[in-house]
Amino acid sequence: MLSILLILIAALFFPGIINKVKAKIGGRKMPSVFQPLFDVIRLFKKGAIYSPVTSLIFRLAPIIYFASVLMAILFIPLGGQKGLLSFDGDFVFFVYILAIGKFMLIISAMDTGSGFEGMGANREALYSLLAEPAFFILLGSLALFNDIASFSDLYSLMHSSTDLTYITGVAAIYVLMYMAMVENSRLPVDDPKTHLELTMVHEVMILDNSGFDLALMHIASGLKFAIYGTLISNFIIYTAWPLYIQIFLFFIIQSCFAVVIGILESFRARNKMEKNPQWILMLSAIAVVIFLTTLIITHKIILN
Amino acid sequence: MTLLFIILYAATLIYFALSERVRMFVVLLSIQGALLFGVVFFSLYKIELFDFIFILIETIMVKSIIIPWFLNKVRKHNNLKRVHEPFVPVFYSIIVAVISLLFSFLVSNYLKENQIHTVYFTVAFASVIFGLYFIIIHKNLFSHLVGYLIIENGIFLFSLTVGSVMPLMVNLAILLDVFMGVLVLGTFVNRIGNTFDSIEIDQLSKLKD
Repeated sequence: MLSILLILIAALFFPGIINKVKAKIGGRKMPSVFQPLFDVIRLFKKGAIYSPVTSLIFRLAPIIYFASVLMAILFIPLGGQKGLLSFDGDFVFFVYILAIGKFMLIISAMDTGSGFEGMGANREALYSLLAEPAFFILLGSLALFNDIASFSDLYSLMHSSTDLTYITGVAAIYVLMYMAMVENSRLPVDDPKTHLELTMVHEVMILDNSGFDLALMHIASGLKFAIYGTLISNFIIYTAWPLYIQIFLFFIIQSCFAVVIGILESFRARNKMEKNPQWILMLSAIAVVIFLTTLIITHKIILN
Repeated sequence: MTLLFIILYAATLIYFALSERVRMFVVLLSIQGALLFGVVFFSLYKIELFDFIFILIETIMVKSIIIPWFLNKVRKHNNLKRVHEPFVPVFYSIIVAVISLLFSFLVSNYLKENQIHTVYFTVAFASVIFGLYFIIIHKNLFSHLVGYLIIENGIFLFSLTVGSVMPLMVNLAILLDVFMGVLVLGTFVNRIGNTFDSIEIDQLSKLKD
């Protein structure tokens, strides 16, 4: 229960912190941390305009997308706390509930009949397809580590045992961080600030959404960042610590994550479009190394 | 502790597949040398002191400093910035690197010989496979040299698998081999670069008396 509240609070500040860091590094005047929130409230007050060529799918998609992200939050544990819902193999459910939201987004982009949006939907589908194995190999090796298939206990053994767990942890944090960037269409893969439709991925898909729908999309993307931040913080937070330290650390890690994303986005250029698939595949390759390491640690592969 | 270095070494192989800049190859070779230093430092301490120090100096000085320095000189002399079109897209190279890693891990898991340290065998085997693949996919002579050095690093690890002794003579021979190979090939690359203004192997087919 606690994790849901914390994620919701973190999601409020997350886009604000990223914008603040980017503005500071870019030499601009820093906007308020709440500026993205004000934007969302302004959008909520507006009505939505629908193109006459769109159908019911286009109107449903933003709500389903938002609902799927909210649903995914219910499964996320934090430190010793379980998520609200938890059963065996729930991380598979978690991934695919996010995938349903993305699927609705893709077909709603197709629904508008615009050539640009179809292209963006294509790219989004390809990138999430390539990012999926990385996530599953990572979570699979964590599950193998503990012989446990439920999200809440996945991290329980992470902090004990050998030195090799540290390398697993560091590599897993690296993979998860860039997974968050891919899933949220941020910089190495997609530039949220680009003004040319041909080079957009996520932005071009929500080109036709306005008002209320657009606000839902913005909130969902903040929530997604907070979800990945929580997954990362679970690697660092030690379950035996008292609760107030855990909560304090949670916010520290979330804000560090936001600052790191802001710094990354300020200093690196976007990949070429053709280089994107191999870059995302690299995440899977690192996940395979994590998997092999886990096999060694758990003595499934015996090396003498 | 040895396992840590072995796994990091495996990760460098994946970065070799990923990177396209020639400068990155040299940096990665230097990192591999440092990792080999770590492997030797934590696993060979039982041998004679003189041999031990010799191997340590070999890995850290030759593999991690002198050879990368020389390669950098060759690179600057020939104005190399990028690899010129590998035959295979990088996308597939990453898959090949991962498959070679998985394959060698599986093979070593089946080798339950007492005389063989499978810890080193895994990455050594993957390194040799990947080095050969690296040479095949690149048109560039400089990259062939890099691929040769990846194979050589693999062979160095192979020599660790058969026991923790590592005789000095064998080691010296390998060292001489590498040194001469790098020197000769480096000079060769420089000469070709001077003559043709590019070091792609396609140019070699134009050579005549």
